Amino acid sequence: MKLTGLLALSALLGAALVNAKHTSNWAVLVCTSRFWFNYRHLANVLSIYRTVKRLGIPDSQIILMLPDDMACNPRNAFPGTVYSNADRAVDLYGDNIEVDYRGYEVTVENFIRLLTDRVGDEMPRSKRLLTDDRSNILVYMTGHGGNEFLKFQDAEEIGAFDLADAFEQMWEKKRYHEILFMIDTCQANTMYSKLYSPNIIATGSSELDQSSYSHHADSDIGVAVIDRYTYYNLEFLETEVRDTSSKRTVGDLFDSYTYEKIHSNAGVRYDLFRGGAEAARSRLLTDFFGNVQDVEVDLSKNTTLEEDLLSLSKTIAALHRKAAEQEATMKNNATSERRAQITGQKKTQFAKPLTDDNWWTKKILGATAVAGCAFLWGLSSFLEGPGR
Amino acid sequence: MTPRKQPPPESPSDIRRRTHVILSFWLIILFLGLPIWWWTTTIYRARLPLQEMLEWADGKACRPVFPLRISIQANSLQEQEAQNLLRLTQHALDDLNDFSGHHLRLQLSPPSSDAKQTHDSGSALTIRLIPGETTTATLDPLEPVLDITYPPNAIPLPTSSSSTLATYVAAQLRSTFAEEQATISYLLSTNAIPSEHRPQGLSPEAAESLSKRTTRSLKYAPTYHLTFSLFTSGPLPSSWDIEAAIDEYMKPVLDVLSPIHNFTIDTQVQLYATPGVQNQVLNKEDLSSFINAAEWPLSPSIGGAPTINFIVFVGNQTIAAASQSPEDASGSESSAAHSWLIPQWGTVYLLSLPLDVTHLSVASLKQPLLTFTSHLLSLTGTPQSGSLPLRLSTLARIRSADLLLRASSTLGSLARLALALPSISIPRSVADGVAKTMAHLRLACETLGGAEGLAHARIAEAEAERAFFEKSMVGQLYFPDEHKIAVYLPLLGPVAVPLVLGLINELKAWSKRRREMAKRGEEKKRE
Repeated sequence: MKLTGLLALSALLGAALVNAKHTSNWAVLVCTSRFWFNYRHLANVLSIYRTVKRLGIPDSQIILMLPDDMACNPRNAFPGTVYSNADRAVDLYGDNIEVDYRGYEVTVENFIRLLTDRVGDEMPRSKRLLTDDRSNILVYMTGHGGNEFLKFQDAEEIGAFDLADAFEQMWEKKRYHEILFMIDTCQANTMYSKLYSPNIIATGSSELDQSSYSHHADSDIGVAVIDRYTYYNLEFLETEVRDTSSKRTVGDLFDSYTYEKIHSNAGVRYDLFRGGAEAARSRLLTDFFGNVQDVEVDLSKNTTLEEDLLSLSKTIAALHRKAAEQEATMKNNATSERRAQITGQKKTQFAKPLTDDNWWTKKILGATAVAGCAFLWGLSSFLEGPGR
Repeated sequence: MTPRKQPPPESPSDIRRRTHVILSFWLIILFLGLPIWWWTTTIYRARLPLQEMLEWADGKACRPVFPLRISIQANSLQEQEAQNLLRLTQHALDDLNDFSGHHLRLQLSPPSSDAKQTHDSGSALTIRLIPGETTTATLDPLEPVLDITYPPNAIPLPTSSSSTLATYVAAQLRSTFAEEQATISYLLSTNAIPSEHRPQGLSPEAAESLSKRTTRSLKYAPTYHLTFSLFTSGPLPSSWDIEAAIDEYMKPVLDVLSPIHNFTIDTQVQLYATPGVQNQVLNKEDLSSFINAAEWPLSPSIGGAPTINFIVFVGNQTIAAASQSPEDASGSESSAAHSWLIPQWGTVYLLSLPLDVTHLSVASLKQPLLTFTSHLLSLTGTPQSGSLPLRLSTLARIRSADLLLRASSTLGSLARLALALPSISIPRSVADGVAKTMAHLRLACETLGGAEGLAHARIAEAEAERAFFEKSMVGQLYFPDEHKIAVYLPLLGPVAVPLVLGLINELKAWSKRRREMAKRGEEKKRE
């Protein structure tokens, strides 16, 4: 009897843990390439940024990494704007954009620091990923990549192993509930092949030895403005997911990928997800791209209860204060007596180094160096002397 | 045709010198170069007490036990009678209790003459037994005191083995602490504590409501920023008496919470604010997108503490009756809801005002602020049943258990990480942090339930977080072998070729010389 109860309980808890809803949505949108001819990568990221913002994720929960500033590039024929379509209907840059990491701040180290939250005290909250075990995270990356790496800014690269380890550290510290990982780069599917942490759905634009192609160029801007994979993702999100009440699922989005559209084989990985492909495919797109909050509408209640609470806390606070005062006076009496005894023997404080670790070692090292120099000088002058 | 000219024979001293040169090169490489290379490229890994850390995470190192002392005050009873009653009640309690982590222990407090000064701070609850007509129980609203009246015939005889009064007191105690017990057992169950420590009999409904409550409340932080924002749909009202209103309607609760949390307060006003949803009547789906996150400045990112937002929106929008909970929807139109709570974030209050109001007075802010105050309590995770003092002391206990479990699980994460990633560096400060965490965890575990326990748990949690998020424990961890070759070969190849070839030549020459010496020796012998 007891055993069955226990089993039922553990089954129930297991179910509760699986079905637990997320409470916040975060997005990490990373572009990794600089320079004008990579205009499309910035446009990719900015159009995803617009989409998640349209679906309600606030700027404080979007981490946007842009290595270059296309809007202010001297070659830009339309200064101050970035477009992801030749019809130039939507200015992605607009007047309301919050770039968290810009220019040379976009490095592999900063990206890993962001994911694992290993940052110093000087880092403002707006540049940190303050997620917990109830946060869903959309991670979108774009740039130039190859087999199991993604290049950052022509200078360095992040490997698939590093990315997998970073996600694992996040999982260990309970920093996410579920992750949707999207990557649009050449040989993108190799980037998520090394992931091993649970509850991640991953998708990429192209297989090993396949390129990821751009969709079209704008002849006035003079370069390609968007990549095919991102373009068709956006098309789906804009036509099918018009607001947060949309019931479209992740599976619907993945089914819309075809070779004819993307010109490469988009990949999907479900095996890390708890519940496998079925559970992963049934997740709503707004679980990752939108900000769905389970609000609680107040019951219209009489206010006397709250007023009672208020008056109660007033009296309790007064009581606390009284008790604290009593204690303080008692302590004061005690300390003043003690102080009277102590006053006779006052001490002067000496100047102290701020940190005293290795203080002596450093002194000895310095002294040795000076002595060594002096010895060398003496030796050389001694050797020079007889020859003269 | 002359034979090819041979170089002059080398003098033995030259040969010896060359040997010395080559040898000294190799000696420097082996005894200076290699150790320096080794020393500069090894990753420093401080020793961590991994086994112990994992034990904490598995709940083996500390069994969170809350021994709650409950003193019984029975001024009108004889010492003997009171002892007897206490014994019977304790028996009844032990029979009812199936969760060993949460244990109620009764004690008899010395009868005091002063009826007012009843509660002593060491115990969680005081039961005041007062003779009366019928058996009743009431919680004192100001102090953690449970008043129980009993009819004169309810006093158990010294010989009886059971008593209705004792059973009654036990049942009252159990129902008073039911919520706390459920919350703590829920916390334990979600933190992978081995099942024998877990209580049984958490009903599905209870588990669900608890999970809902824990989702709603914010993660513990020593300080919270409270941001009060006034957004208006038009040009008016443009000012509000928020300071006076906070002092009047919220300050007392903040004072009461001050042993557990600190609060800082900011306010702002924004005119012509457009909400995220323009509908006249707001459905439940609209409410979650009502906040215009893109345009309202709601993430001030002040300091390092989390922000709780309280928003008063002046406009003429209303909440649809259907979105309210069913039992409430039956109410009349006039009692429609004005506010909603967003889990872990804050509250929005819709205030409709006549068009010409330019200034929000304290009186008009009363209702919103009272709502905010009660939401603040639920956002901080205060339990809902019982009297306020009891709720607060329960909150302190729940928070210390929560912090203890979180610090333990962080230790476990760090230990598993250190095992899983052999190439991650572990600086000494991490080891120090771990040691400090464990010391404080041990103290917290011993003093669980009191104010001291909360303080230790708080320090332990902060230290564990700092150790886990150590800034220098980052960097690229994985280097493929191709990379290593690509880095080392251009550097060491040109240096290594002459060195290795020189050594090989020298060895060859040496063996040749030896062979010649041997041959000559044999010849000499033969002669």
